Amino acid sequence: MKEKGCLVGTSSNPPRSPGEVIVGKWRGNRYVVNRLLGKGANGTVYLVNRQGRREKYALKIGYDMLDLQSEINVLTSLQSCRVRRDQRTRGASPMSAYFLEADDASEGGFPFYVMRYVQGTPLHYFLSRKGSSWLGLIGLQLLDRLCGLHECGFIFGDLKPENVMVSEYGIAELIDFGGAGPISRSVKQFTEWHDRGYWNAGSRIGDESYDLFAFAVLCLRLLDEAGLQNASRQLPQTRSGDDLIKLAAQLPDKKLASWLRLALKGGFSTSAEARDMWKRHVYTSRHYKPEPMATPGWLTGAFALSLCLLAFTVYWIYHF
Amino acid sequence: MKQILLITDGCSNVGESPVMAAAHARQDGITVNVIGVVDYGTIGELGSREIDDIAKAGGGLSRIVGTPQLAQTMQMMTRKTVVQTIQQAVNKEVKKILGEGSLDDLPPAKRSQVVTVVDELSETAPLRLALLIDASASMKPKLAAVEDAIRDLALSLEAREGDSEISVFHFPGSTSEAAVLDMDWSRNVSDIRTLFGKIRMKGATPTGPAIFKVLEHFGYDTLDEHQGRLAAHSDEGEGMPGGYVV
Repeated sequence: MKEKGCLVGTSSNPPRSPGEVIVGKWRGNRYVVNRLLGKGANGTVYLVNRQGRREKYALKIGYDMLDLQSEINVLTSLQSCRVRRDQRTRGASPMSAYFLEADDASEGGFPFYVMRYVQGTPLHYFLSRKGSSWLGLIGLQLLDRLCGLHECGFIFGDLKPENVMVSEYGIAELIDFGGAGPISRSVKQFTEWHDRGYWNAGSRIGDESYDLFAFAVLCLRLLDEAGLQNASRQLPQTRSGDDLIKLAAQLPDKKLASWLRLALKGGFSTSAEARDMWKRHVYTSRHYKPEPMATPGWLTGAFALSLCLLAFTVYWIYHF
Repeated sequence: MKQILLITDGCSNVGESPVMAAAHARQDGITVNVIGVVDYGTIGELGSREIDDIAKAGGGLSRIVGTPQLAQTMQMMTRKTVVQTIQQAVNKEVKKILGEGSLDDLPPAKRSQVVTVVDELSETAPLRLALLIDASASMKPKLAAVEDAIRDLALSLEAREGDSEISVFHFPGSTSEAAVLDMDWSRNVSDIRTLFGKIRMKGATPTGPAIFKVLEHFGYDTLDEHQGRLAAHSDEGEGMPGGYVV
Protein backbone atom coordinates (compact mmCIF):
# COMPACT_ATOMS: atom_id res chain seq x y z
CA MET A 1 0.00 0.00 0.00
CA LYS A 2 2.85 2.36 0.72
CA GLU A 3 5.03 2.31 -2.29
CA LYS A 4 7.41 5.19 -2.48
CA GLY A 5 7.13 7.53 -5.38
CA CYS A 6 9.70 10.01 -6.51
CA LEU A 7 8.50 12.74 -4.17
CA VAL A 8 8.36 10.89 -0.89
CA GLY A 9 11.35 11.94 1.14
CA THR A 10 11.82 8.97 3.41
CA SER A 11 13.17 5.76 1.99
CA SER A 12 11.75 2.43 3.08
CA ASN A 13 13.63 1.03 6.04
CA PRO A 14 15.43 -2.29 6.05
CA PRO A 15 14.18 -4.81 8.62
CA ARG A 16 15.76 -4.54 12.07
CA SER A 17 17.51 -7.63 13.35
CA PRO A 18 17.35 -8.95 16.93
CA GLY A 19 19.97 -7.43 19.20
CA GLU A 20 20.19 -4.21 17.21
CA VAL A 21 20.11 -1.04 19.32
CA ILE A 22 17.96 1.90 18.27
CA VAL A 23 19.06 5.16 19.87
CA GLY A 24 16.79 8.21 20.01
CA LYS A 25 18.33 11.36 18.57
CA TRP A 26 16.34 13.83 20.67
CA ARG A 27 15.75 12.02 23.94
CA GLY A 28 18.72 9.66 23.93
CA ASN A 29 16.91 6.50 25.07
CA ARG A 30 18.33 3.21 23.85
CA TYR A 31 16.11 0.33 22.79
CA VAL A 32 17.25 -3.22 22.03
CA VAL A 33 15.29 -5.00 19.29
CA ASN A 34 13.90 -8.34 20.42
CA ARG A 35 11.80 -9.48 17.49
CA LEU A 36 9.30 -8.38 14.84
CA LEU A 37 5.71 -8.10 16.12
CA GLY A 38 3.83 -7.08 13.01
CA LYS A 39 3.29 -4.64 10.18
CA GLY A 40 0.65 -1.94 10.06
CA ALA A 41 -0.29 0.43 7.27
CA ASN A 42 1.99 3.14 8.66
CA GLY A 43 4.94 1.15 9.90
CA THR A 44 6.58 -1.93 11.34
CA VAL A 45 6.29 -2.84 15.02
CA TYR A 46 9.08 -4.52 17.00
CA LEU A 47 9.22 -5.90 20.50
CA VAL A 48 12.01 -4.06 22.34
CA ASN A 49 13.35 -3.41 25.81
CA ARG A 50 15.22 -0.42 27.20
CA GLN A 51 18.91 -1.25 27.24
CA GLY A 52 19.84 -2.67 30.64
CA ARG A 53 16.24 -3.04 31.75
CA ARG A 54 13.68 -5.79 31.69
CA GLU A 55 10.36 -4.10 30.77
CA LYS A 56 9.20 -4.84 27.25
CA TYR A 57 7.76 -2.23 24.90
CA ALA A 58 6.48 -2.13 21.36
CA LEU A 59 8.40 0.19 19.03
CA LYS A 60 6.90 1.31 15.74
CA ILE A 61 9.13 2.47 12.90
CA GLY A 62 7.26 4.62 10.39
CA TYR A 63 7.40 4.28 6.60
CA ASP A 64 6.61 7.95 6.21
CA MET A 65 7.32 10.78 8.65
CA LEU A 66 4.01 12.56 8.06
CA ASP A 67 1.81 9.49 8.45
CA LEU A 68 3.62 8.42 11.60
CA GLN A 69 3.53 11.92 13.08
CA SER A 70 -0.24 12.18 12.52
CA GLU A 71 -0.64 8.86 14.30
CA ILE A 72 1.52 10.12 17.16
CA ASN A 73 -0.57 13.30 17.32
CA VAL A 74 -3.74 11.26 17.69
CA LEU A 75 -2.15 9.10 20.40
CA THR A 76 -0.83 12.04 22.41
CA SER A 77 -4.11 13.95 22.31
CA LEU A 78 -5.94 10.78 23.30
CA GLN A 79 -3.50 10.34 26.14
CA SER A 80 -4.01 13.84 27.50
CA CYS A 81 -7.78 13.49 27.13
CA ARG A 82 -7.67 10.28 29.15
CA VAL A 83 -5.49 11.83 31.82
CA ARG A 84 -7.99 14.68 32.21
CA ARG A 85 -10.85 12.21 32.42
CA ASP A 86 -9.08 9.95 34.90
CA GLN A 87 -8.37 12.92 37.13
CA ARG A 88 -12.08 13.60 37.16
CA THR A 89 -13.17 10.06 37.84
CA ARG A 90 -10.07 9.04 39.85
CA GLY A 91 -10.12 5.64 38.21
CA ALA A 92 -7.02 4.51 36.39
CA SER A 93 -7.91 3.30 32.92
CA PRO A 94 -5.58 0.61 31.58
CA MET A 95 -5.16 2.57 28.37
CA SER A 96 -3.88 5.76 29.95
CA ALA A 97 -0.23 4.85 29.50
CA TYR A 98 -0.40 3.48 25.98
CA PHE A 99 1.99 5.93 24.36
CA LEU A 100 5.47 6.46 25.84
CA GLU A 101 7.63 8.61 23.59
CA ALA A 102 8.43 9.54 20.02
CA ASP A 103 11.88 10.10 18.59
CA ASP A 104 14.09 9.81 15.50
CA ALA A 105 16.84 7.22 15.25
CA SER A 106 20.28 8.76 15.60
CA GLU A 107 21.51 6.37 12.94
CA GLY A 108 19.37 6.25 9.82
CA GLY A 109 17.21 9.14 10.99
CA PHE A 110 13.95 7.18 10.70
CA PRO A 111 11.07 8.28 12.92
CA PHE A 112 9.72 5.89 15.56
CA TYR A 113 7.57 5.85 18.65
CA VAL A 114 7.41 3.62 21.70
CA MET A 115 4.21 2.27 23.21
CA ARG A 116 3.08 -0.22 25.79
CA TYR A 117 3.45 -3.82 24.67
CA VAL A 118 0.02 -5.39 24.37
CA GLN A 119 0.51 -9.11 24.75
CA GLY A 120 -2.07 -11.43 23.28
CA THR A 121 -3.52 -12.94 20.14
CA PRO A 122 -5.58 -11.23 17.42
CA LEU A 123 -9.32 -11.45 18.10
CA HIS A 124 -10.20 -13.93 15.34
CA TYR A 125 -7.57 -16.42 16.51
CA PHE A 126 -8.66 -16.01 20.10
CA LEU A 127 -12.33 -16.71 19.33
CA SER A 128 -11.64 -19.63 17.02
CA ARG A 129 -9.59 -21.21 19.80
CA LYS A 130 -11.75 -20.39 22.79
CA GLY A 131 -15.22 -20.38 21.25
CA SER A 132 -17.63 -17.65 20.22
CA SER A 133 -19.25 -17.56 23.66
CA TRP A 134 -16.48 -15.09 24.55
CA LEU A 135 -17.89 -12.54 22.10
CA GLY A 136 -20.35 -11.04 24.61
CA LEU A 137 -17.55 -10.09 26.98
CA ILE A 138 -14.95 -9.07 24.37
CA GLY A 139 -17.57 -7.06 22.48
CA LEU A 140 -18.44 -5.15 25.63
CA GLN A 141 -14.79 -4.29 26.23
CA LEU A 142 -14.35 -3.17 22.63
CA LEU A 143 -17.43 -0.96 22.80
CA ASP A 144 -16.03 0.50 26.03
CA ARG A 145 -12.80 1.36 24.23
CA LEU A 146 -14.68 2.90 21.32
CA CYS A 147 -16.79 5.00 23.71
CA GLY A 148 -13.61 6.28 25.34
CA LEU A 149 -12.20 7.26 21.95
CA HIS A 150 -15.43 8.95 20.86
CA GLU A 151 -15.66 10.91 24.11
CA CYS A 152 -12.23 12.33 23.31
CA GLY A 153 -13.40 13.35 19.83
CA PHE A 154 -11.76 10.62 17.77
CA ILE A 155 -12.92 7.64 15.75
CA PHE A 156 -10.88 4.47 15.33
CA GLY A 157 -11.64 4.06 11.62
CA ASP A 158 -10.03 0.78 10.62
CA LEU A 159 -11.76 -1.54 13.09
CA LYS A 160 -11.25 -5.23 12.26
CA PRO A 161 -10.30 -8.41 14.14
CA GLU A 162 -6.65 -8.00 13.13
CA ASN A 163 -6.53 -4.70 15.04
CA VAL A 164 -7.85 -6.16 18.28
CA MET A 165 -5.51 -8.00 20.66
CA VAL A 166 -6.94 -10.26 23.31
CA SER A 167 -4.87 -11.34 26.30
CA GLU A 168 -4.82 -14.93 27.52
CA TYR A 169 -7.55 -14.16 30.04
CA GLY A 170 -9.88 -12.24 27.78
CA ILE A 171 -8.90 -8.57 28.01
CA ALA A 172 -9.30 -6.87 24.64
CA GLU A 173 -7.27 -3.87 23.46
CA LEU A 174 -7.28 -1.88 20.24
CA ILE A 175 -3.93 -1.78 18.47
CA ASP A 176 -2.72 0.16 15.41
CA PHE A 177 -4.19 3.66 15.57
CA GLY A 178 -3.06 4.41 12.01
CA GLY A 179 -6.66 4.84 10.84
CA ALA A 180 -7.77 6.93 13.82
CA GLY A 181 -8.70 10.54 13.28
CA PRO A 182 -10.89 13.40 14.50
CA ILE A 183 -14.67 12.94 14.36
CA SER A 184 -16.34 14.51 11.26
CA ARG A 185 -13.18 14.21 9.12
CA SER A 186 -12.95 11.80 6.21
CA VAL A 187 -11.84 8.30 7.22
CA LYS A 188 -8.14 7.85 6.36
CA GLN A 189 -7.75 4.09 6.36
CA PHE A 190 -10.36 1.42 6.11
CA THR A 191 -10.77 -2.21 5.12
CA GLU A 192 -13.36 -3.04 2.45
CA TRP A 193 -15.57 -5.43 4.39
CA HIS A 194 -15.73 -3.20 7.44
CA ASP A 195 -16.33 0.01 5.52
CA ARG A 196 -19.79 1.57 5.46
CA GLY A 197 -19.16 3.04 2.01
CA TYR A 198 -18.27 -0.36 0.56
CA TRP A 199 -21.77 -1.62 1.43
CA ASN A 200 -23.46 1.50 0.06
CA ALA A 201 -24.74 2.07 3.58
CA GLY A 202 -23.48 5.60 4.18
CA SER A 203 -20.65 8.08 3.79
CA ARG A 204 -16.97 7.79 4.67
CA ILE A 205 -17.17 10.68 7.09
CA GLY A 206 -15.84 9.46 10.42
CA ASP A 207 -18.64 9.56 12.97
CA GLU A 208 -19.55 7.32 15.90
CA SER A 209 -21.82 5.16 13.80
CA TYR A 210 -18.99 4.52 11.31
CA ASP A 211 -17.09 2.67 14.04
CA LEU A 212 -20.27 0.91 15.18
CA PHE A 213 -20.93 -0.27 11.63
CA ALA A 214 -17.39 -1.65 11.40
CA PHE A 215 -17.88 -3.30 14.78
CA ALA A 216 -21.10 -4.97 13.59
CA VAL A 217 -19.33 -6.33 10.50
CA LEU A 218 -16.57 -7.56 12.80
CA CYS A 219 -19.15 -9.57 14.76
CA LEU A 220 -20.64 -10.98 11.55
CA ARG A 221 -17.19 -11.89 10.30
CA LEU A 222 -16.41 -13.74 13.53
CA LEU A 223 -19.71 -15.63 13.56
CA ASP A 224 -20.45 -16.19 9.86
CA GLU A 225 -17.44 -15.45 7.67
CA ALA A 226 -18.73 -17.58 4.80
CA GLY A 227 -22.00 -15.65 4.68
CA LEU A 228 -20.15 -12.35 4.64
CA GLN A 229 -17.87 -13.58 1.88
CA ASN A 230 -20.91 -14.51 -0.19
CA ALA A 231 -22.58 -11.15 0.32
CA SER A 232 -19.44 -9.30 -0.75
CA ARG A 233 -19.26 -11.18 -4.06
CA GLN A 234 -22.11 -9.19 -5.62
CA LEU A 235 -21.73 -6.32 -8.05
CA PRO A 236 -20.61 -3.17 -6.25
CA GLN A 237 -23.80 -1.28 -7.13
CA THR A 238 -26.09 -3.94 -5.69
CA ARG A 239 -24.24 -4.44 -2.42
CA SER A 240 -26.21 -3.01 0.44
CA GLY A 241 -26.46 -2.81 4.19
CA ASP A 242 -29.62 -4.93 3.94
CA ASP A 243 -27.51 -7.92 2.89
CA LEU A 244 -25.67 -7.62 6.18
CA ILE A 245 -28.90 -7.22 8.14
CA LYS A 246 -30.16 -10.44 6.53
CA LEU A 247 -26.98 -12.20 7.59
CA ALA A 248 -27.44 -10.93 11.13
CA ALA A 249 -31.04 -12.18 11.21
CA GLN A 250 -29.81 -15.71 10.52
CA LEU A 251 -27.70 -15.78 13.67
CA PRO A 252 -29.04 -18.08 16.40
CA ASP A 253 -28.72 -15.38 19.09
CA LYS A 254 -31.74 -13.16 18.44
CA LYS A 255 -30.74 -10.43 20.89
CA LEU A 256 -27.38 -10.09 19.20
CA ALA A 257 -29.11 -10.07 15.82
CA SER A 258 -31.33 -7.13 16.74
CA TRP A 259 -28.37 -5.21 18.19
CA LEU A 260 -26.42 -5.75 14.97
CA ARG A 261 -29.41 -4.66 12.93
CA LEU A 262 -29.51 -1.34 14.75
CA ALA A 263 -25.77 -0.79 14.39
CA LEU A 264 -25.85 -1.60 10.67
CA LYS A 265 -28.72 0.82 10.10
CA GLY A 266 -26.96 3.60 12.00
CA GLY A 267 -29.74 3.44 14.58
CA PHE A 268 -27.69 4.29 17.66
CA SER A 269 -27.33 8.00 18.31
CA THR A 270 -24.14 7.54 20.35
CA SER A 271 -21.72 4.72 20.99
CA ALA A 272 -22.51 5.01 24.72
CA GLU A 273 -26.10 4.06 23.90
CA ALA A 274 -24.85 1.15 21.79
CA ARG A 275 -22.62 -0.03 24.60
CA ASP A 276 -25.38 0.11 27.22
CA MET A 277 -27.73 -1.80 24.96
CA TRP A 278 -25.03 -4.45 24.34
CA LYS A 279 -24.40 -4.71 28.06
CA ARG A 280 -28.08 -5.12 28.93
CA HIS A 281 -29.09 -7.51 26.17
CA VAL A 282 -26.17 -9.22 24.47
CA TYR A 283 -23.67 -9.41 27.31
CA THR A 284 -26.03 -10.48 30.14
CA SER A 285 -27.93 -12.94 28.01
CA ARG A 286 -24.68 -14.73 27.32
CA HIS A 287 -23.48 -14.27 30.83
CA TYR A 288 -26.35 -16.08 32.55
CA LYS A 289 -27.21 -18.58 29.89
CA PRO A 290 -26.95 -22.04 31.48
CA GLU A 291 -25.16 -24.56 29.35
CA PRO A 292 -27.79 -26.92 27.94
CA MET A 293 -26.51 -30.43 28.55
CA ALA A 294 -27.79 -33.50 26.77
CA THR A 295 -28.67 -36.43 29.04
CA PRO A 296 -26.28 -39.27 28.23
CA GLY A 297 -27.85 -42.44 26.87
CA TRP A 298 -26.57 -44.70 29.62
CA LEU A 299 -28.25 -42.51 32.25
CA THR A 300 -31.65 -42.85 30.56
CA GLY A 301 -31.16 -46.61 30.39
CA ALA A 302 -30.17 -46.82 34.02
CA PHE A 303 -33.15 -44.72 35.02
CA ALA A 304 -35.55 -46.98 33.13
CA LEU A 305 -33.94 -50.03 34.68
CA SER A 306 -34.31 -48.60 38.19
CA LEU A 307 -38.00 -47.85 37.50
CA CYS A 308 -38.54 -51.43 36.43
CA LEU A 309 -36.76 -52.63 39.53
CA LEU A 310 -38.95 -50.42 41.71
CA ALA A 311 -42.13 -51.67 40.07
CA PHE A 312 -40.96 -55.21 40.44
CA THR A 313 -40.06 -54.66 44.11
CA VAL A 314 -43.45 -53.06 44.86
CA TYR A 315 -45.20 -55.90 43.09
CA TRP A 316 -43.08 -58.45 44.93
CA ILE A 317 -43.72 -56.86 48.36
CA TYR A 318 -47.48 -56.60 47.99
CA HIS A 319 -47.90 -59.86 46.25
CA PHE A 320 -46.53 -61.83 49.08
CA MET B 1 -4.89 21.69 -5.63
CA LYS B 2 -5.09 20.11 -9.02
CA GLN B 3 -4.37 16.53 -10.00
CA ILE B 4 -4.63 14.32 -13.05
CA LEU B 5 -4.90 10.57 -12.53
CA LEU B 6 -4.07 8.61 -15.67
CA ILE B 7 -5.21 5.00 -15.84
CA THR B 8 -3.71 3.01 -18.68
CA ASP B 9 -2.45 -0.44 -19.62
CA GLY B 10 0.26 0.16 -22.12
CA CYS B 11 2.41 2.41 -24.19
CA SER B 12 1.28 5.50 -26.00
CA ASN B 13 1.72 5.25 -29.77
CA VAL B 14 0.30 8.43 -31.31
CA GLY B 15 1.09 12.13 -31.04
CA GLU B 16 3.21 14.12 -28.63
CA SER B 17 5.17 12.46 -25.84
CA PRO B 18 3.06 11.92 -22.71
CA VAL B 19 6.15 12.63 -20.63
CA MET B 20 6.36 16.11 -22.12
CA ALA B 21 2.63 16.61 -21.61
CA ALA B 22 3.05 15.67 -17.94
CA ALA B 23 5.95 18.12 -17.62
CA HIS B 24 3.65 20.83 -18.97
CA ALA B 25 1.02 19.84 -16.39
CA ARG B 26 3.54 20.17 -13.59
CA GLN B 27 4.51 23.59 -14.90
CA ASP B 28 0.82 24.55 -14.61
CA GLY B 29 0.73 23.38 -10.99
CA ILE B 30 -1.08 20.14 -11.79
CA THR B 31 0.32 16.88 -10.40
CA VAL B 32 0.08 13.81 -12.64
CA ASN B 33 -0.31 10.34 -11.09
CA VAL B 34 -0.30 7.19 -13.20
CA ILE B 35 -1.73 3.73 -12.58
CA GLY B 36 -0.95 0.87 -14.92
CA VAL B 37 -3.69 -1.78 -14.79
CA VAL B 38 -2.61 -5.29 -15.67
CA ASP B 39 -4.69 -8.37 -14.98
CA TYR B 40 -2.96 -11.01 -17.06
CA GLY B 41 0.65 -11.02 -18.08
CA THR B 42 2.85 -7.98 -17.71
CA ILE B 43 2.82 -4.45 -18.98
CA GLY B 44 6.21 -4.83 -20.63
CA GLU B 45 9.41 -3.01 -19.85
CA LEU B 46 8.62 -0.19 -22.24
CA GLY B 47 5.15 0.37 -20.84
CA SER B 48 6.22 0.33 -17.23
CA ARG B 49 9.08 2.72 -17.93
CA GLU B 50 6.71 5.14 -19.66
CA ILE B 51 4.30 5.00 -16.73
CA ASP B 52 7.18 5.74 -14.39
CA ASP B 53 8.47 8.59 -16.55
CA ILE B 54 5.06 10.26 -16.93
CA ALA B 55 4.64 10.30 -13.15
CA LYS B 56 8.17 11.62 -12.59
CA ALA B 57 7.66 14.40 -15.11
CA GLY B 58 4.26 15.18 -13.60
CA GLY B 59 5.61 15.29 -10.04
CA GLY B 60 3.38 12.42 -8.99
CA LEU B 61 3.34 8.73 -8.13
CA SER B 62 3.09 5.65 -10.31
CA ARG B 63 2.05 2.08 -9.64
CA ILE B 64 1.19 -1.02 -11.60
CA VAL B 65 -1.67 -3.06 -10.11
CA GLY B 66 -4.36 -5.58 -11.00
CA THR B 67 -8.04 -4.57 -11.05
CA PRO B 68 -8.70 -5.89 -7.50
CA GLN B 69 -6.29 -3.31 -6.05
CA LEU B 70 -7.38 -0.49 -8.33
CA ALA B 71 -9.85 1.28 -6.03
CA GLN B 72 -7.50 1.21 -3.06
CA THR B 73 -4.54 2.39 -5.12
CA MET B 74 -6.48 5.32 -6.59
CA GLN B 75 -7.46 6.52 -3.11
CA MET B 76 -3.99 6.06 -1.68
CA MET B 77 -2.41 8.03 -4.53
CA THR B 78 -4.89 10.87 -4.44
CA ARG B 79 -4.57 11.20 -0.70
CA LYS B 80 -0.76 11.00 -0.70
CA THR B 81 -0.52 13.58 -3.45
CA VAL B 82 -2.76 16.00 -1.57
CA VAL B 83 -0.59 15.60 1.51
CA GLN B 84 2.61 15.99 -0.51
CA THR B 85 1.44 19.14 -2.20
CA ILE B 86 0.70 20.66 1.19
CA GLN B 87 3.93 19.28 2.63
CA GLN B 88 6.01 20.86 -0.11
CA ALA B 89 4.41 24.24 0.50
CA VAL B 90 4.92 23.86 4.25
CA ASN B 91 8.54 22.75 3.75
CA LYS B 92 9.15 25.92 1.80
CA GLU B 93 7.86 27.97 4.70
CA VAL B 94 9.93 25.96 7.17
CA LYS B 95 13.00 26.63 5.02
CA LYS B 96 12.19 30.33 4.97
CA ILE B 97 11.99 30.42 8.76
CA LEU B 98 14.94 28.17 9.60
CA GLY B 99 17.14 29.09 6.66
CA GLU B 100 17.61 25.42 5.80
CA GLY B 101 16.27 21.95 6.42
CA SER B 102 12.72 20.64 6.24
CA LEU B 103 9.95 19.18 8.32
CA ASP B 104 12.03 16.08 9.06
CA ASP B 105 14.68 18.15 10.82
CA LEU B 106 12.34 19.80 13.33
CA PRO B 107 12.37 18.60 16.95
CA PRO B 108 9.40 16.33 17.77
CA ALA B 109 7.26 18.89 19.59
CA LYS B 110 7.51 21.48 16.78
CA ARG B 111 7.04 18.82 14.13
CA SER B 112 3.88 17.64 15.82
CA GLN B 113 2.40 21.13 15.55
CA VAL B 114 3.36 21.53 11.91
CA VAL B 115 1.94 18.12 11.00
CA THR B 116 -1.34 19.07 12.68
CA VAL B 117 -1.50 22.00 10.27
CA VAL B 118 -0.57 19.79 7.29
CA ASP B 119 -3.34 17.34 8.24
CA GLU B 120 -5.81 20.17 8.61
CA LEU B 121 -4.98 21.67 5.21
CA SER B 122 -4.96 18.25 3.53
CA GLU B 123 -8.52 17.76 4.69
CA THR B 124 -9.85 21.23 3.95
CA ALA B 125 -7.96 22.57 0.90
CA PRO B 126 -10.08 22.53 -2.26
CA LEU B 127 -9.19 19.74 -4.70
CA ARG B 128 -9.83 19.21 -8.39
CA LEU B 129 -9.09 15.78 -9.79
CA ALA B 130 -9.35 14.90 -13.48
CA LEU B 131 -9.42 11.17 -14.23
CA LEU B 132 -8.05 10.24 -17.62
CA ILE B 133 -8.98 6.72 -18.65
CA ASP B 134 -7.30 4.78 -21.42
CA ALA B 135 -10.18 3.16 -23.34
CA SER B 136 -8.15 1.52 -26.07
CA ALA B 137 -9.20 -2.00 -27.09
CA SER B 138 -7.04 -3.86 -24.56
CA MET B 139 -8.63 -1.91 -21.68
CA LYS B 140 -12.16 -3.02 -22.54
CA PRO B 141 -12.45 -5.91 -20.04
CA LYS B 142 -11.16 -3.64 -17.27
CA LEU B 143 -13.48 -0.67 -17.75
CA ALA B 144 -16.21 -1.98 -15.46
CA ALA B 145 -13.68 -2.26 -12.64
CA VAL B 146 -12.36 1.22 -13.45
CA GLU B 147 -15.87 2.63 -13.20
CA ASP B 148 -16.46 0.99 -9.79
CA ALA B 149 -13.15 2.32 -8.56
CA ILE B 150 -14.05 5.83 -9.71
CA ARG B 151 -17.33 5.64 -7.81
CA ASP B 152 -15.48 4.47 -4.71
CA LEU B 153 -12.94 7.27 -5.02
CA ALA B 154 -15.72 9.82 -5.40
CA LEU B 155 -17.29 8.52 -2.19
CA SER B 156 -14.03 9.12 -0.33
CA LEU B 157 -13.60 12.60 -1.78
CA GLU B 158 -17.17 13.46 -0.89
CA ALA B 159 -16.26 12.80 2.76
CA ARG B 160 -13.52 15.46 2.69
CA GLU B 161 -14.28 18.73 4.41
CA GLY B 162 -12.79 20.76 1.59
CA ASP B 163 -14.45 21.24 -1.77
CA SER B 164 -13.62 18.22 -3.93
CA GLU B 165 -14.50 17.94 -7.58
CA ILE B 166 -13.97 15.13 -10.05
CA SER B 167 -14.12 15.10 -13.82
CA VAL B 168 -13.71 12.07 -16.07
CA PHE B 169 -12.18 11.82 -19.55
CA HIS B 170 -11.48 8.85 -21.75
CA PHE B 171 -9.22 8.55 -24.77
CA PRO B 172 -8.97 8.10 -27.71
CA GLY B 173 -11.93 10.15 -28.91
CA SER B 174 -13.84 9.76 -32.14
CA THR B 175 -11.89 11.32 -35.01
CA SER B 176 -10.37 14.68 -34.30
CA GLU B 177 -10.49 14.76 -30.53
CA ALA B 178 -7.69 13.28 -28.45
CA ALA B 179 -9.89 12.77 -25.40
CA VAL B 180 -13.60 12.91 -24.62
CA LEU B 181 -15.15 14.47 -21.53
CA ASP B 182 -17.46 11.90 -19.89
CA MET B 183 -18.35 13.90 -16.81
CA ASP B 184 -17.62 17.54 -16.07
CA TRP B 185 -16.56 18.81 -12.61
CA SER B 186 -18.86 17.31 -10.02
CA ARG B 187 -19.04 17.13 -6.24
CA ASN B 188 -21.55 14.28 -6.00
CA VAL B 189 -21.03 10.55 -6.27
CA SER B 190 -24.60 10.24 -7.49
CA ASP B 191 -23.64 12.13 -10.68
CA ILE B 192 -21.52 9.18 -11.73
CA ARG B 193 -23.86 6.86 -13.56
CA THR B 194 -22.72 4.85 -16.51
CA LEU B 195 -19.57 6.45 -17.75
CA PHE B 196 -18.21 4.27 -20.48
CA GLY B 197 -21.41 2.60 -21.69
CA LYS B 198 -21.22 3.42 -25.35
CA ILE B 199 -17.53 3.77 -26.10
CA ARG B 200 -16.36 2.32 -29.37
CA MET B 201 -12.97 0.85 -28.75
CA LYS B 202 -10.08 1.72 -30.98
CA GLY B 203 -6.52 0.57 -31.09
CA ALA B 204 -4.55 3.81 -30.89
CA THR B 205 -3.31 5.20 -27.58
CA PRO B 206 -2.65 8.95 -27.89
CA THR B 207 -1.73 9.44 -24.23
CA GLY B 208 0.21 12.66 -24.77
CA PRO B 209 -2.45 14.54 -26.73
CA ALA B 210 -5.07 13.31 -24.22
CA ILE B 211 -3.14 14.84 -21.31
CA PHE B 212 -2.89 18.12 -23.23
CA LYS B 213 -6.65 18.03 -23.77
CA VAL B 214 -7.24 17.68 -20.02
CA LEU B 215 -4.83 20.55 -19.35
CA GLU B 216 -6.88 22.68 -21.70
CA HIS B 217 -9.98 21.83 -19.71
CA PHE B 218 -8.28 22.87 -16.47
CA GLY B 219 -7.25 26.04 -18.32
CA TYR B 220 -10.77 27.09 -19.36
CA ASP B 221 -11.89 26.88 -15.80
CA THR B 222 -9.03 28.84 -14.41
CA LEU B 223 -9.80 31.58 -16.92
CA ASP B 224 -13.35 31.88 -15.62
CA GLU B 225 -12.27 31.91 -12.02
CA HIS B 226 -9.39 34.25 -12.65
CA GLN B 227 -11.68 37.19 -13.35
CA GLY B 228 -12.79 37.34 -9.74
CA ARG B 229 -9.81 36.04 -7.85
CA LEU B 230 -6.85 37.51 -9.65
CA ALA B 231 -6.08 39.94 -6.88
CA ALA B 232 -6.62 37.54 -3.99
CA HIS B 233 -4.38 34.71 -5.18
CA SER B 234 -1.26 35.97 -6.78
CA ASP B 235 0.88 32.84 -6.51
CA GLU B 236 -1.45 30.15 -7.83
CA GLY B 237 1.47 28.55 -9.65
CA GLU B 238 2.07 26.12 -6.80
CA GLY B 239 -1.21 24.42 -7.44
CA MET B 240 -2.56 25.35 -4.04
CA PRO B 241 -4.28 28.47 -2.80
CA GLY B 242 -1.76 31.13 -1.96
CA GLY B 243 -3.61 32.22 1.13
CA TYR B 244 -2.30 29.33 3.20
CA VAL B 245 0.80 30.36 5.03
CA VAL B 246 1.81 28.48 8.13
